[in-house]
Amino acid sequence: MATVTERLEERRNWWQGLSASPQVTSLIILAVVLAGFSIANPNFLSPLNISNMMAFLPELGIMALAMTLLLTAGEFDLSVGAVFALGPVIVMLLAQQAGIDIGFALLVGLAVCIAIGAVNGVIVTKIGISSFLVTLSMLLIVRGTALYVTQGFPLKSWNEPGIFVSLLAGSFQLGPFKLYVSLYWFIGLTLIAAYILNWSKLGNWISAIGSNRNAAIARGVPADAVKIGLFIAASVLSGLAGMISAFRISAASPVAGTGYELEVIAMVVVGGTALTGGYGTILGTVVGAFMLRAIRNGIVLIGVPGLAFNIFVGALILVMLVLHAMLSKRGARR
Amino acid sequence: MSVEVLRLEGIRKSFGSVKALKSASMTLREGEVVALLGDNGAGKSTLIKAISGVHPADGGAIYVRGEKATIRSARDAIELGIETIHQDTSLAPDLSIARNLFLGREPVKLPFLGVFAPIDFPLLRQAASTLLKRVGISKKLDADAAVNTLSGGERQSIAISRAMQFAAKVIILDEPTNNLGVEETHGVLRFVKEMRAAGHTVLFITHNIHHVFQVADRIIVMRRGEVVAEQTVGDTDLLSVEALIMGVDAATLAEQAKVH
Ligand SMILES: Nc1ncnc2c1ncn2[C@@H]1O[C@H](COP(=O)(O)OP(=O)(O)OP(=O)(O)O)[C@@H](O)[C@H]1O
Ligand SMILES: [Mg+2]
Repeated sequence: MATVTERLEERRNWWQGLSASPQVTSLIILAVVLAGFSIANPNFLSPLNISNMMAFLPELGIMALAMTLLLTAGEFDLSVGAVFALGPVIVMLLAQQAGIDIGFALLVGLAVCIAIGAVNGVIVTKIGISSFLVTLSMLLIVRGTALYVTQGFPLKSWNEPGIFVSLLAGSFQLGPFKLYVSLYWFIGLTLIAAYILNWSKLGNWISAIGSNRNAAIARGVPADAVKIGLFIAASVLSGLAGMISAFRISAASPVAGTGYELEVIAMVVVGGTALTGGYGTILGTVVGAFMLRAIRNGIVLIGVPGLAFNIFVGALILVMLVLHAMLSKRGARR
Repeated sequence: MSVEVLRLEGIRKSFGSVKALKSASMTLREGEVVALLGDNGAGKSTLIKAISGVHPADGGAIYVRGEKATIRSARDAIELGIETIHQDTSLAPDLSIARNLFLGREPVKLPFLGVFAPIDFPLLRQAASTLLKRVGISKKLDADAAVNTLSGGERQSIAISRAMQFAAKVIILDEPTNNLGVEETHGVLRFVKEMRAAGHTVLFITHNIHHVFQVADRIIVMRRGEVVAEQTVGDTDLLSVEALIMGVDAATLAEQAKVH
């Protein structure tokens, strides 16, 4: 008898724990948002529109995954949107102007991203300047470089098919949906990021560093090396996302990804990851990425004037954050 | 006389113009409990931070079992068998108790994956709950609970049980009974005695002189960044120890006590 009530009690606690968790809140709100848009305009769920959303989603989503890990460790990166532009710009320049093999050009592009991330990470950890200031400066440097080397003009389109183009931006038909392989990249990277954060030794270190850096260091956790690695991951994944995008629309623009840094950080915190570090959720980030894409897309469909977009996006983000804050307060009092 | 485990010679450490440690020297032997005493700001925490690699020393030498050791990071110290529980928080509040207990030395499956290796969660939980039972925390704690849901005393107990598990040669406790209730305080003192019985060396920083007489074999007194006295507990009494800490004559102190 006692065991039965105990078990019921356990189940209730489990459910309470789950419903207070930020991921579940985000999921519920996502469902509400999706339902709202589809009632307001049935075209929202049309195959064409869903395909459309799915084309954009992985590009920002991939950046958001790395940003989640970085935020969990207590840092963030404002230069990701600029790297999103510079990565493919370098690749296209090398491949088109210099006639270098596209595979090699991609490697060089990624190497530049690694270097940008490493510089961010080393300055933040070894010199001790806040990541806000370091990556803000890096944003200007990287964006400026992209503009200068292209003289401000988008690079002419790249139409030669090849293995790399299909690997990054190939498309396929799934029932009524036209999907891009970038979706596979997103799914694969999501699984890797979730594994690292929740199940690996490294994930334990990342959360510990964000939660109490000194405690982590006192246990022998190489906090600086972990952070530098995460800055590199953020840069590389942003460059990769930029290349995917550039191949998909077959053009590399020096102004691509403007403002993405804030969009990506919004996705991450709307999902429930703490801006102050110590707690991160990949599932939440995926939900957050869906949510922001759905909102941007849905707002157009239901006929909100283009210039009023950001009012709604900003307001919805605020609502989400307030909900998280209220729930985590309730959770802490338990 | 038993084997020397840790010897410090002329350890120096400055923070800018503040000379926190001028020249600190001491020797710890196997199986003894040494109380490190001194007033606020005497340099006790700074000294143990130098030994534990958190703030490596500017100068001086450290010998572990007679061999010269270089301690530049916390990892160095841990690998030399020196476990430290710091005065300021040593836990990550957002992580669960179990994750905290094994932070930096997580039990993993597939260890060849390095930092990407998956944590062995069943083992982690099991080891954590065994450990929690040993510290004698009155309330039953859930190993999956986040540390930020615990009281200050409970957190301290968790940090102490973490030092217990790896059975280090030298265990350093910086004011471990601060904020603890009666039962937890006894748990800590019992732990110190257990460690000595098992042959470990314990360096124990405290402001509570009664605790010193309960568990310590020797006392070392620091004042303004230097070791100023060393005594065997059996050869001294409470008043003389207090006088040493304050840097006054024991007779003067006794006089003062009479006046008030
Ligand atoms: N990180 C630091 N930066 C600057 N000064 C420091 C730092 N840590 C300690 N100090 C200074 O070094 C001196 C010794 O400090 P320490 O913490 O070692 O004292 P303590 O003996 O542990 O004192 P308490 O009993 O109050 O804990 C103090 O004057 C303190 O202000
Ligand atoms: Mg101290």
